Amino acid sequence: MSALTFRRPSRIPAAPLAIVIGVTVGALLILASGGNPLTAYWAILIGALAPASLPDALNWAVPLVGMTLVAALPLRGGLVNLGGDGQLVIGGLVAALAPLYLPALAPGIAAAVAIVAAMVASGLYASLAAWGETRLGVPMLISSLLLSYPAVGLTSYVVGFPLRDTTTGLAQTVMIPRAARLATIFGPLNIGLILMAAVALLAVFYDRRTAGGYELRMRGLNARFAGYGGVRLASQTVRVMFASGAVAGLVGAIIVLGSQFRFHDGALIAPGYTWSGLMAALLAGGEPLGAIGAGVFFAALQTGGFAMQRETSIPRVLTMVLQAVIILFLAIRHGVTRRSR
Amino acid sequence: MAPELAAIGIVKRYGSLVANDHVDLAVERGEVHVVMGENGAGKSTLMSILYGMQAPDEGRILLLGSEVRYRSALDAIAEGVSMVHQAFKLFNSLTVWENVVYGCEPQRAGFVDRAAAITKVGALAQRYHLGVDPSAIVGRLSVGVRQRVEILKALHRDARILILDEPTAVLTPQERDALLAVIRNLTASGRTVIFVTHKLHEAMAIGDRVTVLRDGRVAASMTTKETSPSEIIRAMIGRAVNLMVEKGPAKLGAAVLKVDSLTVQRAGRPAVDRVSLAVRAGEIVGIAGVAGNGQTELIEALTGLLPPDQGRVEIAGHDVTRRDVEQHRRAGLAYIPEDRAATGAAPEASAADNLAMGYHRAPPLARRGLLDHRALAAHARRLIARFGVRIGSEADEVGSLSGGNLQKLVVARELSHEGPLLIAEQPTRGVDVGATEFIHRLLIAERDKGRAILLVSAELSEIMALSDRILVMFEGRVLADVPGTEADEETLGFLMAGRIREAA
Repeated sequence: MSALTFRRPSRIPAAPLAIVIGVTVGALLILASGGNPLTAYWAILIGALAPASLPDALNWAVPLVGMTLVAALPLRGGLVNLGGDGQLVIGGLVAALAPLYLPALAPGIAAAVAIVAAMVASGLYASLAAWGETRLGVPMLISSLLLSYPAVGLTSYVVGFPLRDTTTGLAQTVMIPRAARLATIFGPLNIGLILMAAVALLAVFYDRRTAGGYELRMRGLNARFAGYGGVRLASQTVRVMFASGAVAGLVGAIIVLGSQFRFHDGALIAPGYTWSGLMAALLAGGEPLGAIGAGVFFAALQTGGFAMQRETSIPRVLTMVLQAVIILFLAIRHGVTRRSR
Repeated sequence: MAPELAAIGIVKRYGSLVANDHVDLAVERGEVHVVMGENGAGKSTLMSILYGMQAPDEGRILLLGSEVRYRSALDAIAEGVSMVHQAFKLFNSLTVWENVVYGCEPQRAGFVDRAAAITKVGALAQRYHLGVDPSAIVGRLSVGVRQRVEILKALHRDARILILDEPTAVLTPQERDALLAVIRNLTASGRTVIFVTHKLHEAMAIGDRVTVLRDGRVAASMTTKETSPSEIIRAMIGRAVNLMVEKGPAKLGAAVLKVDSLTVQRAGRPAVDRVSLAVRAGEIVGIAGVAGNGQTELIEALTGLLPPDQGRVEIAGHDVTRRDVEQHRRAGLAYIPEDRAATGAAPEASAADNLAMGYHRAPPLARRGLLDHRALAAHARRLIARFGVRIGSEADEVGSLSGGNLQKLVVARELSHEGPLLIAEQPTRGVDVGATEFIHRLLIAERDKGRAILLVSAELSEIMALSDRILVMFEGRVLADVPGTEADEETLGFLMAGRIREAA
């Protein structure tokens, strides 16, 4: 009997296979609606990777990869943070308000202060969800999601009424001073790209090389084992959620300080970075490098989608369908695998 | 004459686990047949097969000598076999008679004949002295009465054979006595009862015959009048192989583990009730007892997994009461847990990762919070070689290891901790004879090196072979503290059954 031990099929070939199936289903959909799949996919490819469009793709990838890490960090330990939207807007708002209401600082320093303030605020807000679980027994799946709505509502109120830019008639803050804006590298790219790349590297390093990363990984594989081995699960939950929230705050700060220069109600959550990021993280099972790869892939797909919509008559919703089919297929695979165990 | 019910060579497998391994059971008409065994011995599986809820992989079931094949529990009911489950299957908002006739209603012109149903249920209740009002709402009845409603349901379907699955688990002593009286009435009128329990005194009080299951096999089948409680206990927990371990006299040092008046509440009752004990360096203290008498909770409280409600725990001079696992471990605790796959390892992680747990914060495996993967691999290879774990490489997942090999891996990790205290919980459960012997020799060697060892085992032979002192736990309390050399199976058996007087 011991010779018949079951081996879970490796997950690595599963993702490419899922992508192939997603692309095939998408092609059938395009054919059914009277379009040409080859033109559509070519448009996506050019729209994402051609030299002219690459900066836009990267600019889209920065927040998406950031929100992927927001989901992936807790997921590595078997925890789920569904509150990315709330943490994102808190970070964005704090990043916008810090340079507006703090005394003027030198360029660079003003931006750094705004970023740090945003990260701390979002980190603390995410820790609230963790405390909900460790102190009050509210599952974090629920507490993180439910804490997201009041955050969105609060920021919407703040920029809609007390701190609104009364000159524009829109729910948004006034423009932040130049000193607090992120330096640009070239074209639309700013140093947010470098900051996010550094955070991504740090996440991979933490996961692979540190004792804390080891503890988180073991917890994800068997939380009871980690607890038995002496890992302090409650404080680990709070720490991981703080880190996860801080990354969301960074994403909010990069968008506000790097491209929008003000906090505009709804502008941070409308593109759906949080949920695309969550899907990318799930796709990789929380493994940071895989999650980052998936996040970049989704970002390319979505940017290419905009191009496809411009070039052909096919709506960019198609790329979302592709994304969904890929995730669904992976979910089916994992479900089937689990049952046969 | 053919027995009322016979099961022959029943085999039921769940994956690699054999829940029933060629089980034979013969139940005579009009007897109370007690089926005993520890948790996981295969009682529930056997009952669900007899009741048609599961099909056996092999084997036959005969009713009055002729073979039956159930497609579902409905077939069993039609053949006159009924079962009262531990969790009652009743509609709480309906009346007793509605519950009893459900699925088998007396009818008149296509409608339920209410009057006839009430009369019939009332008559049945009276005949067997059940004392149940047919018109009462079930939800308002006490647990004991609800159980009698279940019995009424079976009688209404004219069950000749009644299976009662741990019927006394939910009852007060008075309700239990009433149930035993009902069972006597049933058998007096020619019905047959199969009574599943792990309580010894009930088996002796009500049973005509007892069949004991252990590890999915029939360990013994005997007539109650001709057997003794200790014989039943031995059948429940003993092991065929007699384990002899050579060991010299203990060289005692200072007390390493000191427990004072420890109490752990579970579900409103003390699972551990004012337990005081001490384990000194250089000795093995064994905790004997039938499973479920507080051993699990005691160990969880001693390792920091479960905060105790009262009392004090001290490890090597450090007060660790209500501290977390990490602080227990830092005070010097090594711990081989009861369930190696659920607690003692992460099956999907590599051997290197599994063996690093607890060593991963300090040199040589880590410096300033950074892991040294080469040191991790070297550490794993060293332990694998020293403890003879059969595994391809330290990078392999441990989930594919056999039970004995995975246990060796857990033992290797825990014994390598320098801590002065080792708690070993069921260290050889489900482990083959070779690995058992190996682990026993290791435990003795650790004792001789001056480690304090607290051993919990459901195997009485293991406790007796290894322990310098034996503590017997019964209903959360430590009933006795017996020197290992003076312990004999019979006395321990009485103590494990909570019968202090006979043991004296």
